[in-house]
Amino acid sequence: MKVFLGMSGGVDSAVSAHLLKEQGHEVVGVYMKNWSKDLPGMKCPWAEDLADAKRTAVRLGIDFRVFDFESDYKQKVVDYMLAEYQKGNTPNPDIMCNQEIKFKLFADTAFEQGAELIATGHYAKSKGRQLLCAKDTNKDQSYFLYRITADVIERTLFPVGDMLKSEVKALAENIGLTVAHKPESMGVCFVGEANMKDFLAEFVETRPGKIIELETNTELGIHDGAIFYTLGQRHGLGLTQGLPYYVVKKDMAKNLVYVSRNLNAGELWANRATLRDIVFRESASGPLQARIRHRAPLVPAHFDAETQTVYFDDAQKSLTPGQSVVLYRGPLCLGGGIIESTDKVC
Amino acid sequence: MIYLDHAAATPLAESARRAMTPYLAEKFFNPSAAYLPAAELRREYEAAKERIAHVIGAKGADLVITSGATESINLAFSLVSSSAETLISAVEHPAVRANAQRGAKCQIVQVDANGRIDLADFQAKLNKNTQFVSVCLASSELGTVQPISDIARLIHAERQRRALAGEATPLYFHCDASQGLGLMEVKVARLGVDLLTINAAKIYGPKGVGALYVAHRVPLRPQVLGGGQEMGLRSGTENVPAVMAFAAAIEEAAKHVSSEQRRLRQLKQQLHQDLADLPNVRFLGHPKTQLPNYLVLSLPGFDAERLIFALEAQEVYLATGSACSANKGIKSPALEAIGLNDAEIAGSLRITLGKLNDSSNLAEAAKLIHAAVRAEQQRMQGQG
Repeated sequence: MKVFLGMSGGVDSAVSAHLLKEQGHEVVGVYMKNWSKDLPGMKCPWAEDLADAKRTAVRLGIDFRVFDFESDYKQKVVDYMLAEYQKGNTPNPDIMCNQEIKFKLFADTAFEQGAELIATGHYAKSKGRQLLCAKDTNKDQSYFLYRITADVIERTLFPVGDMLKSEVKALAENIGLTVAHKPESMGVCFVGEANMKDFLAEFVETRPGKIIELETNTELGIHDGAIFYTLGQRHGLGLTQGLPYYVVKKDMAKNLVYVSRNLNAGELWANRATLRDIVFRESASGPLQARIRHRAPLVPAHFDAETQTVYFDDAQKSLTPGQSVVLYRGPLCLGGGIIESTDKVC
Repeated sequence: MIYLDHAAATPLAESARRAMTPYLAEKFFNPSAAYLPAAELRREYEAAKERIAHVIGAKGADLVITSGATESINLAFSLVSSSAETLISAVEHPAVRANAQRGAKCQIVQVDANGRIDLADFQAKLNKNTQFVSVCLASSELGTVQPISDIARLIHAERQRRALAGEATPLYFHCDASQGLGLMEVKVARLGVDLLTINAAKIYGPKGVGALYVAHRVPLRPQVLGGGQEMGLRSGTENVPAVMAFAAAIEEAAKHVSSEQRRLRQLKQQLHQDLADLPNVRFLGHPKTQLPNYLVLSLPGFDAERLIFALEAQEVYLATGSACSANKGIKSPALEAIGLNDAEIAGSLRITLGKLNDSSNLAEAAKLIHAAVRAEQQRMQGQG
C-alpha cells in the first residue's frame, strides 16, 4: 500500500518508516512545516528536525516531501491557543494540532496525492475505526489523539503502537538510524524549549495584578498577568518565603490570582467537569475510566450525555478549564471533550 | 572520510598548531600588562600581525584583528551612515548583504552567467551618491574571481571626478577576500581596495580569528568598545594564540600558493572528467575565472540535498549550492543571479578541494557520486 508517514525528525517516526518499509509498503516520508516564531535568542530547531527527517528518508531509500502548513497552523493552532489563554483557559495546542493539522490537513493532502493510508510515530493503536491505547502505557499518546474522526483512524497506521519506547530505541540503534540517540523534544513544538510565558508575552498584552491568599484575602505580591498562570501551578509566583503556594483560582475580569498553601484547598479539587466541544466515536455509557491530562493515571468515572458532565468517583486535583478529559473503556479510547467548568459536590 | 568542502572549513595546519601551542598555557599573559614577560608577548603579537600584513602587502598597523570575516565585514560597514548609498555585487556573502542594508539605499550589480560582475552595470550604478562599494574577491558559491582591480579603477575615476567637481561625498571600496586567500596572490595595492577582509579559518588556520585591512585615513567607527585595543578600533584582550597560528597559516599558504594552484587545478580537471558523464550535468563557472579548487555542478531533476545525505552515509562530505534544510530553506541568491532555474538550483552541488584531497581519494569520490546518482535515479524511476 502507498503510505504517507508524518516524519518529525525524531526516533519514533524514523523507526515507523523502517517498519512500514519492512512490511512492504511504499512509504512517502512527509515533514510538516508548521508555523514557528523566530525570535532572537529563542532556538527553534525545525531546520535541524527537517534535515534529520530527510536524512532518515534518504538512508532508508524512501521518497520524501515537505508539506508547508505554516499559515494553517498559525491560524488553527497558534491563534486558537492565544485566544484560549486570553479567556483565562489553559489550552492544549497538541490536541488541536492533531485534530486540525496532522489528522485533517495532512491526511487530506496525503490522500489527494495518492496515499491509501497515512501513518505517524504516535504511541497509540488503531483497529478498524477504533483508537486504542499503546502497548507502552507510560508513553501512550491517545490522550492527544482523542479528537480524531473514526474515518481517519480507519485509514491510519501507528507502527510503533505495539512497541515499548525502549524497543523502538534499541531497533533504531540496531539498524543504524542517526536519530537513535536524539533527545526527545520538550514542550510545545512551535515554542521550542522556550518558556511558554516568554512566548505569550510576545503576543498578548498583559498587565500586572494582585496575588491574593485565598484563606486570608490578603495581598501577597504582584503577578505579571493572570493569563500566565494555570491551576495547581507552584512556580513562577515570586513568593519565595516559607512553604510553597499553589494557584487555586483566577479571576480574569479583575486580573486576580488566588493562591493557597493548602493542597487540600477546596478550590483545587473537583469531582465534576462539564465539557464542551465533545467528540465521541463510541457510546460513553456505563462505568468508564477518565484521563485528565497526558500521562495521568486512568481514574473511574462516568459520563452524563445530557448535561455533558463527567462525574469522577474521587475528587481530582487541578481540573483545568481548557484542558481535555478523555474517556476510556479499558484500552479503548472513546473520545472526550474540553473542560468548560468544574464543580465539587459532596 | 573524503572531504570535499574546503570552502566551508579547513583543518588546522600542523605549523599553525605548533605556532599557537606555547601561547595557550605558558605564554598566557595579557599583552597589556606592565611586567616584562607581558611586554615581550606584546612584541611577539605585533610581529605576528606584521607577518600577516606582509603577506597581503600591508603594514601591521593597517590591520585590525577581529573574530573572523563576519566581524571584519561589520567593522568595514561601520563607514556606512544611515543616509548613505551602498553598491554590492549579486554574489556576496550574507554578512555583506545584511550590512549593505545599513544605508538608505542598496544597489546590486548584476553578474554574467559565470557569476562575474558586469562592469558596465557596475559603472551605470556607481553614481555621485554612492559611498560604499563591497565586492568579494571570489564568490563562495561559485568560486568566480571578481575583477577587483578593474572595479578599483572605476572607483578611482569617480573619486577624481568628485574632487574636480568639488563634491565632498566620500567613496570607499571593501573587498571580502575570505574565499580566494591562499589560492591566489592577494596584495592590497594591486587590488586597489581601501578595506580587505581576511579570515584564518579558510586557510588552515584556527576558527574565530580574522582581520580587516584598513588603508590610511579611513575613518572606521569601532563596533566593540572597551579597553581600546587594536588602535581603539576593536577592544578586547588580544587573542594571541590565534593570531600566532593565523600568521603561520597565512605564511605557509603564501609560500605554496603557486604549487598548490597547479596541484588543485589538476585534481579539479580529473574530477571534472570523471563526473562529465553524470546525467544532464552542467558545470557552473568559467575555468579561466574560477578558483582552482572549485567544481560546481548542477544535476537538474535531482535533489542535491538527498545526494548529500546519501554520500554522507559513505563519509563523503560536500555542499549544496541550493536551498537546503540546514540553511533554513533560503535559496542561494548567487545561483539565481547567474540565471539558473529552480530545478537547476535544487540540483546543484559545490565541491571545493584542498589539502585533504589527492588523485586517489578523488577517483573514489567520483565513483561514490556516480553510485549515489544512480541509486537516486532508480528510486525515482521506481515511483513511475
